[in-house]
Amino acid sequence: MHDLNPTDVSKETDVPVDTRNDATAKAADKAESTAKAEAKAASKARRSKLFADLAPLIGLAVLAIAFVVVGTSSGTNMSYALETLINQSVIIVIIATGAIFIFAMGSFDISLGASTLVAAMVAGLVHNATGSLWLMLGAAVLTAVVTSLISATLAAVFNLPVFVTTVAMLSVLGAVASALVQTTGGAQIRVDRSFAREYDTLTVKLIVAAVFIALCVFLFNYTRLGRVEKLIGGNPITAKLTGVSMKLTAIAAFGIAGLGVGLGAFLTVLRTPTLTVTSASDIGMNILVAMVFGGMVISGGPRSRIYAAIIGGISMALLNQTMAIMLQGMAGGAGIAQMVRAVLFLAVVWLAASGFRTKVLPR
Amino acid sequence: MTNDVVLTVTDMSKSFGVVRALKNVDFELRDGEIHGLIGENGSGKSTLTSIIAGSQPADSGTMIFEGGPWAPATVNESLANGIGMVVQESGTVPGITVAENLFLGETGQFSRLGIVNRRAMYAKAAAALEAIGVEGVNPAIPAGACDFQTRKLVELARVMMYEPKVVVIDETTTALAQDGRDLLYKAMDAHKTRGAVVFISHDLDEIMSVCDRLTVLRDGDIICTFDKEDFDEGAIRAAMIGRSMEGHYYREDNKATSNDEVWLSATGLNLEDKLKDVSIEVRSGEIIGIGGLSHCGMHELGKALFGAAPLESGEVVSRGVKITNERRAVRHSLGYVSKDRDTESLSLAASIRDNIASAGLRLIGKGRGGLITKGAENAYVQEPIDTLEIKAPGAGTIVSTLSGGNKQKVVFGKWIACGTEVLILDCPTRGVDVGVKQAMYRLMTQLKDEGKAMVLISEEMTELMGMSDRLLIMKDGRVVREFERNADLNEMEIIECMI
Repeated sequence: MHDLNPTDVSKETDVPVDTRNDATAKAADKAESTAKAEAKAASKARRSKLFADLAPLIGLAVLAIAFVVVGTSSGTNMSYALETLINQSVIIVIIATGAIFIFAMGSFDISLGASTLVAAMVAGLVHNATGSLWLMLGAAVLTAVVTSLISATLAAVFNLPVFVTTVAMLSVLGAVASALVQTTGGAQIRVDRSFAREYDTLTVKLIVAAVFIALCVFLFNYTRLGRVEKLIGGNPITAKLTGVSMKLTAIAAFGIAGLGVGLGAFLTVLRTPTLTVTSASDIGMNILVAMVFGGMVISGGPRSRIYAAIIGGISMALLNQTMAIMLQGMAGGAGIAQMVRAVLFLAVVWLAASGFRTKVLPR
Repeated sequence: MTNDVVLTVTDMSKSFGVVRALKNVDFELRDGEIHGLIGENGSGKSTLTSIIAGSQPADSGTMIFEGGPWAPATVNESLANGIGMVVQESGTVPGITVAENLFLGETGQFSRLGIVNRRAMYAKAAAALEAIGVEGVNPAIPAGACDFQTRKLVELARVMMYEPKVVVIDETTTALAQDGRDLLYKAMDAHKTRGAVVFISHDLDEIMSVCDRLTVLRDGDIICTFDKEDFDEGAIRAAMIGRSMEGHYYREDNKATSNDEVWLSATGLNLEDKLKDVSIEVRSGEIIGIGGLSHCGMHELGKALFGAAPLESGEVVSRGVKITNERRAVRHSLGYVSKDRDTESLSLAASIRDNIASAGLRLIGKGRGGLITKGAENAYVQEPIDTLEIKAPGAGTIVSTLSGGNKQKVVFGKWIACGTEVLILDCPTRGVDVGVKQAMYRLMTQLKDEGKAMVLISEEMTELMGMSDRLLIMKDGRVVREFERNADLNEMEIIECMI
């Protein structure tokens, strides 16, 4: 017969716990060395964390110094260069901030650039047809959100990874862009720029960016949506078994990313009223590189931060501008710039990955 | 066992961040012995053996193996030179075949002109599995398609194939049902003629019956080593925890009790050949135990009750609500603790705070328009951290740095904090030490007294008998017998139903 209380251990009080015969002096030495080692390890851990947090900021500072040094030494008009820098970084920061919601889930949207282009084209055509700035803004946002939602919904319906549907979407959007250009009978869509002069100001752009970033910070850090996205990125199986709807969360994330793309497209039209099928072609890659420069973990998860998009977006624009100044007039300059970006991208990913590996060891 | 020493560890230390996992330890392994390592979670057992087996370096200290200095840089280097290890968590790669796992990095031996002779590889893999007594596993299927037990046995076969002098078995038996454990014991016994075994387990009965010597670790220190003739359960347990344990281990009562209301019912569940027409009811204030041999379907039943298994037919209802998926289950106050804690119950890279809060985000934001503030979140998670006595520097501690027992407390905390009414616990004490186990059992008893309903799936018969109001035995996907808690419950009768 089985004893239902087989392990009554209440009588086990008289047993000596430490049966070793260590000398008192040795024990004292050991305690002292343990305390020293613990203090040393604590200090090392603090330093590592501080460095991980500060590394993107240090990178940003280095790029900013390089931008100033290169710009002033080459006799560049710095106020113009700075304006270009802000124009470029605002669009990257806005789209990257929205895309953080996708990356945090460990997912990826390869069609961000194509989506921006199509949204900008539709917005331009709507403006040409109506002359309304607000309808243009609405068309940009609506087009981008719908495009994003189509990717996420297709993935949900067919049970596919979202990344797969964004690959398909990339092709579809390329075809749509070509078709939109053909509707004008030429090789580009030209938007009357006179309307935009009033709004193509740094103030407007910074206000749009600030409002959108504030919204994203709120949603990402202070609502359930942002939290479950990080949970999915950390471990999708656990997230599912904690009651998280993967499909609804993905749809919401793509909706917010679409909003960012729409705003980015709107600002793109304000800045560049002539759109061709190659406009915004490098935005997708710029976003990815910017995220990594900003310290975003490529696999997403709990270490995802909105500021990665902001710091990364500005860093990316600084790098682009610095190289543009350095390589201006040089044959093959654009190609060299691409290669430098690629090398830096790999270096940052390698550094981030090697730092992370050492922290997850079995005990 | 001879008195020849095959491995000596001297003055070894290892830290992970601020945590000192090993503190100047000395350890000696003799030829022909099975040497047990026992201690609470976080005592340093896995750290010591993982350094010996080359999966990480020590911060300081030396090792001598078979008369020469020993400092393997990798697990493969260690295995090739005489020390192999079967790790605590899953050590197989799920996306490749069983055979490829067995010959990981070594498939070149079957390759000619770059083409791998799969037939030869599968034949050798089958032979390697048979050598440790594993039969009926197809080496051509992906490891991910095998259950946890089979994957652990594949790891064992891989290590044994190299005929190492020393084999380390780290907390593996909790993943095994009785048949798998028997295979492991047999393989360990056979290995004594070739070398030595280091065996880590939290199961005191098991470790006392299997081992020739036993070393107790606590908080990174080696406390003492017992010879077989000095094995004493009380002394070992006291050495492990450094204090006396008071009170009962399992429930003190011998009577099945529950309230009248049925809180969870399953009717006619069918799932491939894993569940066949299974029907059960769980009442408020009741603990239903589910037991059986491996492949009996009990783990699949746990998932099905939580809406996480693609049922062919049948339905699960909790207080009038049909449970069709995990989301619905959590919304209607069901919680699920998986057997595979690291893979299915935790986000390892996230903090204790994030993990505990994950199931209760709606509650934290309730009354604040969904706003989740740091203050509200900290208040929400602090109670389970205090109640469950989770040992960590703070709520922001990353879960991957915690010991197995503390990780499991975080999983429990996640469900308790959000007020889960029906808990499905699949091997909840797997890989946790005796102190944490006792805390878990006390918690379960407390939850039962509060009127919660629990389904306890376990491979440990004493646990099932010690905690369940009713015990359902499963075999080949069916519930074959039900036992009600009483003082005369017969263990042999239950085991006969399983076989």
